[in-house]
Amino acid sequence: MIKRFFDWLKQPLGLIAVGIAVLTLFSIAAYGLYTTQQPPEQPIQFPHKTHVAFGIQCLYCHPGAARGPAAGIPTQAKCWGCHNQIVKTQTSLLLAPLKEAVESGTPIEWVPVAQVPDFVQFNHRAHIAAGQNCENCHGDMTKVNIAENPQVFNMGWCLDCHVKNAGEDHVKLVKLTDCGTCHY
Amino acid sequence: MIRPEEIKMSAEHVGKWGMVIDQDICTGCQACVAACAMENNISFVGEKDSGYGRSMHWIRIERFWEGEYPEVKMTPNQPMLCQQCNSATCEPVCPAFATVHSQAEQLNLQIYNRCVGTRYCGNNCPYQVRSFNWRDYERPEPLSNQLNPDVTVRRMGVMEKCTFCIQRIHKAQDKAKAEGREVVDGEFTTACAQACPASAITFGRVDDPESLVSQLAQRGHGLKHLEELGTLPNVTYFKGG
Repeated sequence: MIKRFFDWLKQPLGLIAVGIAVLTLFSIAAYGLYTTQQPPEQPIQFPHKTHVAFGIQCLYCHPGAARGPAAGIPTQAKCWGCHNQIVKTQTSLLLAPLKEAVESGTPIEWVPVAQVPDFVQFNHRAHIAAGQNCENCHGDMTKVNIAENPQVFNMGWCLDCHVKNAGEDHVKLVKLTDCGTCHY
Repeated sequence: MIRPEEIKMSAEHVGKWGMVIDQDICTGCQACVAACAMENNISFVGEKDSGYGRSMHWIRIERFWEGEYPEVKMTPNQPMLCQQCNSATCEPVCPAFATVHSQAEQLNLQIYNRCVGTRYCGNNCPYQVRSFNWRDYERPEPLSNQLNPDVTVRRMGVMEKCTFCIQRIHKAQDKAKAEGREVVDGEFTTACAQACPASAITFGRVDDPESLVSQLAQRGHGLKHLEELGTLPNVTYFKGG
């Protein structure tokens, strides 16, 4: 039975069938990988590049990054501070969800893009204080609409930077490569 | 086998963070146990699994009795938590290097994402203070809202133990650094020490001779549990002072 199956596979038709099966599996895997690399669906198609082009600093909307662990995502009140003075906000279809959120008082449910696993305790403040700029990890926001992750946040990537920045300072190196600095 | 003179030699090596527990003023009220569970997202094991000896507490109140029945006398309550040994027996046995010694903070760490659940560390701990997540225990509705975001929620199959509230240590250090100063003694404390109504638990830097905890530890009649094993614990107990 099995021998007959392998004999059939060696026929030209069988080889074509094998080829199709392999291609199908490859495409499914490639599509699966592709979907994980897409920025998530957001309630508003927020254009980062437009806001950066107006000269708005990252820390204006994400002020938590300079103060503590979480950078924070602004509420509609902060958006409205500027947008209620912009005539286009009243008519734009893209901005309709913002107008509706302000009028009804229900928060906009932004989907976080840059996330680390639960067992990693990340603190923005220490990184900003160490002189890192937002774009070093989050990519150039002048080029994207919805935020994307230019790199996967994994431990090797974190440690590469930690070791490089510690340099010759042994105390700093011990602190920056200690398991307990990020995992607890 | 560690020779006594070796213990004396290595005893000069002090840790960084330490604790002093006064058993004479401990009333055994279990406030520390509850505070620890709240602070560190410890699961509620329930009656059935506790019966199997699978209870999960990072700190527990031990009670002992002296004498035969009718003259039974209770010895002072003994809060037992991870002693954060300078020479810990749990560390060398881990096959996955999940329980490692923090060089920066001089604490025994448990790295949950690296732990594969062999339970070797727990079996090798002379204080029996490590607990294992036998299941993903349920958190009923209102309790799921009180999880501490600064502490990892552990999953089934990993070992866990007292961390000396390392999240509070990091928070205090981060705050001090932002303000451009050093961490002040007494600025923060662990959840158990904070909750203790009798102030029986004191936490702080043992390598700083000026701190309250090292001044208390040097009162003379302090006791370190199972010191003869050479574990060099960082928790000092006072009893019958």
